[in-house]
Amino acid sequence: MSRDMVIRFAREWGTTAKLTKGKCTIIIGAGINHWYHNNLMYRAGIHALMLCGCVGVNGGGLAHYVGQEKLAPMESWSSIALAKDWFGPSRLQNAPSWHYVHTDQWRYEKSFTDYHTVPIHPRYGNLAQGHTMDMQVRAVQNGWLPFYPQFNQNPLELVKEAQAAGAKTNEEIVAYTVKQLKDRKLQFSVEDPDAAENWPRVWFIWRGNALMSSAKGHEYFLKHYLGTHTNAIAEDMAKDSVQTVMWHEKAPEGKMDLVVDLNFRMDTSALYSDIVLPAATWYEKKDLNSTDMHSFIHPLSEAVPPCWESKSDWQIFREIAKKFSELAAKHFPEPVKDIVAVPLAHDTPAEIAQPEIKDWLKGEVDAIPGKTMPGLAVVTRDYKNLYNQFISYGPLVKTNGLSAHGTKYDIQDFYEEALQISPVVTWDGNTYPSLFDDEEACNIVLRFATVTNGELAYRSYQNMEKKVGLPLVHLVEKSRDVRVDFAALLARPQRFINSPMWSGLVTDGRPYAPFTYNVECLVPWRTLTGRQHFYLDHPGYIAFGEHLPTYKPKPLPAEYADLRFSKEAGPTKMLNYLTPHGKWHIHSTYGDNQRMTTLSRGVEPFWINVEDAADINIEDNDWVEVHNDHGVVVTRAAVSARIPRGICIQYHSPERTYSVPRSPLRGDRRAGGHNSLTRVRLKPNLMVGGYGQFTYHFNYWGPTGVNRDTHVLVRKLPELKW
Amino acid sequence: MNVRSQISMVFHLDKCIGCHTCSIACKNIWTDRPGAEYMWWNNVETKPGTGFPTAWEDQNKYKGGWDVKNGDLRLRSTGKGRVIFNIFHNPSQPTLDDYYEPWTYDYKNLFDAPEGGDQPTAMPVSLITGDYINVEAGPNWDDDLGGSTIYAANDPNLEGLTAEQREQLAAVERLVFFYFPRICNHCLNPSCVAACPSGALYKRGEDGIVLLDQNRCRAWRSCIAACPYKKTFYNWSTGKSEKCILCFPRLETGQAPACFHSCVGRIRYLGVLLYDAERIEEVGKSPVEELVEAQRSLILDPFDPHVIEAALRNGIHESVIASAQNSPVYQFVKVWQIALPPHIEYRTLPMLFYVPPMAPVMSGKQGDVINHVSEDLFHDIDDARVPMKFLANLFGAGHEGKVRYALRKQKAVRWYRRLLLTVGDVDIATAERMLFEADCTPAEAQAIYELTSLCTFEQRFVIPPAHREEAIQMMEEPLLHKQSVGFGFLSGPQRGA
Repeated sequence: MSRDMVIRFAREWGTTAKLTKGKCTIIIGAGINHWYHNNLMYRAGIHALMLCGCVGVNGGGLAHYVGQEKLAPMESWSSIALAKDWFGPSRLQNAPSWHYVHTDQWRYEKSFTDYHTVPIHPRYGNLAQGHTMDMQVRAVQNGWLPFYPQFNQNPLELVKEAQAAGAKTNEEIVAYTVKQLKDRKLQFSVEDPDAAENWPRVWFIWRGNALMSSAKGHEYFLKHYLGTHTNAIAEDMAKDSVQTVMWHEKAPEGKMDLVVDLNFRMDTSALYSDIVLPAATWYEKKDLNSTDMHSFIHPLSEAVPPCWESKSDWQIFREIAKKFSELAAKHFPEPVKDIVAVPLAHDTPAEIAQPEIKDWLKGEVDAIPGKTMPGLAVVTRDYKNLYNQFISYGPLVKTNGLSAHGTKYDIQDFYEEALQISPVVTWDGNTYPSLFDDEEACNIVLRFATVTNGELAYRSYQNMEKKVGLPLVHLVEKSRDVRVDFAALLARPQRFINSPMWSGLVTDGRPYAPFTYNVECLVPWRTLTGRQHFYLDHPGYIAFGEHLPTYKPKPLPAEYADLRFSKEAGPTKMLNYLTPHGKWHIHSTYGDNQRMTTLSRGVEPFWINVEDAADINIEDNDWVEVHNDHGVVVTRAAVSARIPRGICIQYHSPERTYSVPRSPLRGDRRAGGHNSLTRVRLKPNLMVGGYGQFTYHFNYWGPTGVNRDTHVLVRKLPELKW
Repeated sequence: MNVRSQISMVFHLDKCIGCHTCSIACKNIWTDRPGAEYMWWNNVETKPGTGFPTAWEDQNKYKGGWDVKNGDLRLRSTGKGRVIFNIFHNPSQPTLDDYYEPWTYDYKNLFDAPEGGDQPTAMPVSLITGDYINVEAGPNWDDDLGGSTIYAANDPNLEGLTAEQREQLAAVERLVFFYFPRICNHCLNPSCVAACPSGALYKRGEDGIVLLDQNRCRAWRSCIAACPYKKTFYNWSTGKSEKCILCFPRLETGQAPACFHSCVGRIRYLGVLLYDAERIEEVGKSPVEELVEAQRSLILDPFDPHVIEAALRNGIHESVIASAQNSPVYQFVKVWQIALPPHIEYRTLPMLFYVPPMAPVMSGKQGDVINHVSEDLFHDIDDARVPMKFLANLFGAGHEGKVRYALRKQKAVRWYRRLLLTVGDVDIATAERMLFEADCTPAEAQAIYELTSLCTFEQRFVIPPAHREEAIQMMEEPLLHKQSVGFGFLSGPQRGA
């Protein structure tokens, strides 16, 4: 684009914002999120919005459509989903880090400074140098990110060991654990992920196609998780670049002992699983649905009974819990103590834990759980009663109240009321609201969430008033008597009401727009300063030169380790490989049914520019072989003027289940899917935490799984073999 | 004046996102049967492109519709003299290769493949023969400009475009495409009806829906060759031809057709038009440049007392007349004149109308730098990336005037709305001048905006009451009919039988 056009666009943007009081919107899809420098691109756009007063305005702001997940009734939902009604913290893992480490993809790259431009005069030691894996290790040690398994020792055994050494209280068990860590007698698993005691062993895949759609670096999943055939030809290269992580000369293959998949489709994950549990579809079960695309809460109802042996997810997990408890009666007849390591969490005092980056392992600072290192919590497990706990809404919510995103409110009276007017379960002499049945669980979610219970929203605002010293309860005055239950939703989907957990205001039919609460009610933003941030005054960002959004060049193919071992065979082209959302799938779901394969070309084609295709004698609908160090794809070419030169697209996600020929370049092995050509990368500075808005929160903050800067070689398939 | 009632349709192409939900809704309800696998009564095409069946708009190949010879309308596909020669083989009729061979996959192989060193895969198999096939065509093969050098570059609507315009349509950062959803047009002068040797096709009296009687069809397939839109299909399993029925069982119970009901972009409108059947032949023979206006002139004003009187005299129920007065189609087609018939030059007088799409402004390329060619806030419609001539070939029988009128008015509406929303950015004089030049008033601009952007289900689909009682009365005594319908055995047990 010409400079004049950029300037003209900026003027039109600014003028519109001025005349409309901020109604400029940027709509961004998932794409940006998957580039290595995604944070800089996002921030560039957000700055244009902030500078023109467009954030927190209906019709303005950043609409970033990456997934449609928004758990509107989050407080009550999370109390059930994460078992907060029975226990302390759960083990919640950010997937990009977990798979980067456990699939051993870190072994196939060198220092990130090979491709990531950082300031040449580092102000903060060696933070912006080295290997991404070492940064990942540090992130866990410092409490910035979670990682499981957590230690190279069974946590139940660890507690017993502490007790044998004289620890009586939970505090003493924690103190013992800290000492063991400091003395290096106990290690974080992430420090030596290839040691057998640190492998993950059992993988439950639920509501996703984790082995194909989500598996950036699919072939490494096949190799290191499953130990089956793989088309990756990359070789280890991290040995000389890593310093903290333990190096094993040979990477383990087949870490997983058991893969279980809950699924209603025979997708690639199901094809590779040991056990497939048939799941009910949306029209065969009762469930709730909410999204960020609108402000309604929707019921799913059982229009027809689940086909054959399939069951709802809720019932499947309930039955597993039942069997587990039967077995636990023998193996764990009494409650046992567990110790859980958790990262420094968003919306907690841990946000001001680490204004400076200091390492307790080097003695720069004391080892203080929840401040300079991960929090450590002792949790009592009653495995024998796990099933009973599953079907009962537990007592902790009655005493602790509910919370999410920094809010909090009491529910004791509503809990007591539920015992009177709703189904209950009784065991060991105590009575609880029932979660046995799907609909019962839905009703507990609705009864105790602020967005569907006006009185609880009122209480939550009261609580927030105390925190911020501003009048807020008026926001829900009109909706204070709203109570939504499942039967009411079946009659008609309903909008949710104002709640301090969400930053949009929806009174009087107003559409939801985020941050209008902050702008109009002057409630501080959830940042270090309570304001919108331009400048990120944090050593992690300054070390990487990203205190302001700046231009950083894309990683180049030569340094990015996609093509070190791949050879050209015949007329070949190197292209930047993109795997955006397809128009006819949600990831892999829907795209492979007979209707949609018919409306596409019977495969997920490889889109290539007309001239690029002509250069290597590829015509429309020719079979092509696309490969790099990570794997190979064989599919048909869709030659189109729509695709810019130098890039190519395979929309995600195809399945390995249909129409996948063999690859001559890999000795006639079956070729793979779109993620056979990608791998997951993590941008190191997105790992820093324990400070302001850069503090870990499950499914909200952490390094994104980067895959979009990948390059591939493409050629015409010499011979079609099935 | 011979007033008739027709359920008509408008598709607003500016709103179509090409999701094909309409196609799926139709497919699942009507053509998910042996022999109908390849049929898509509703399909969505990428333009430029060659569509389904491939290059259907090329009437030199398919010879659909009518032409005027010696002052008479004449079917292009056949005539009195030729019918005998073509009766067993019509050379202009599309074959399966022009459609596609429907397929599925050999999924059983995933379970039954013998143990080996590699994973199994399900290969494509023909839904007709059951044999493994090489998939070479589909009903939406050129979606989103796939294979653009083969398909988009050979769109028949490119006729008359300059070499530069064609080049621009194939250049990244300058090209554009839009979606073109299609169903049966339920024409006023349907060539399929005229061509049928068995009289199986007919245009339903009460609402103008064109239907194909499955009992009378003798599989001559003349309708398939004669329909220039290729919207009748032959079912190889039943040996009968089939077509879109505008979901009349739904319409009769007050529901919108499935493709309308399911439309995600809310591009579809449906409502009654009253027209003068006396003038159909005269209008069908109009000079090509007058066809759009001539067809419009057939549409009668449902508020005109003379029209109302003539309609009542013809047995059109007053509730249907009231429905015609509320018809969104009447607004788009007759009042605002921004919806146009597709390929009116085929002379079948289609009753599905399209609001032509606005397109992004053209950009120019100097070296490696891209620049807009226009300084205008909303560009000049003649600088749009879709050349006016292309739209004119689709919606104006090659003549640009009506298309330019429709686009100019849409553009004026945008200026007017911008004036209201961003006070100070657009000066009132400019907006008023644009409205005036576009033959539009502020009130009309507001009405267009509302029916385009804010319309509800009830505003988009104004379905006339079915008055089944009148239809039943023509056939039998209503009280006797009442006793013979319902669930179970329609003829109950009888004494002595």
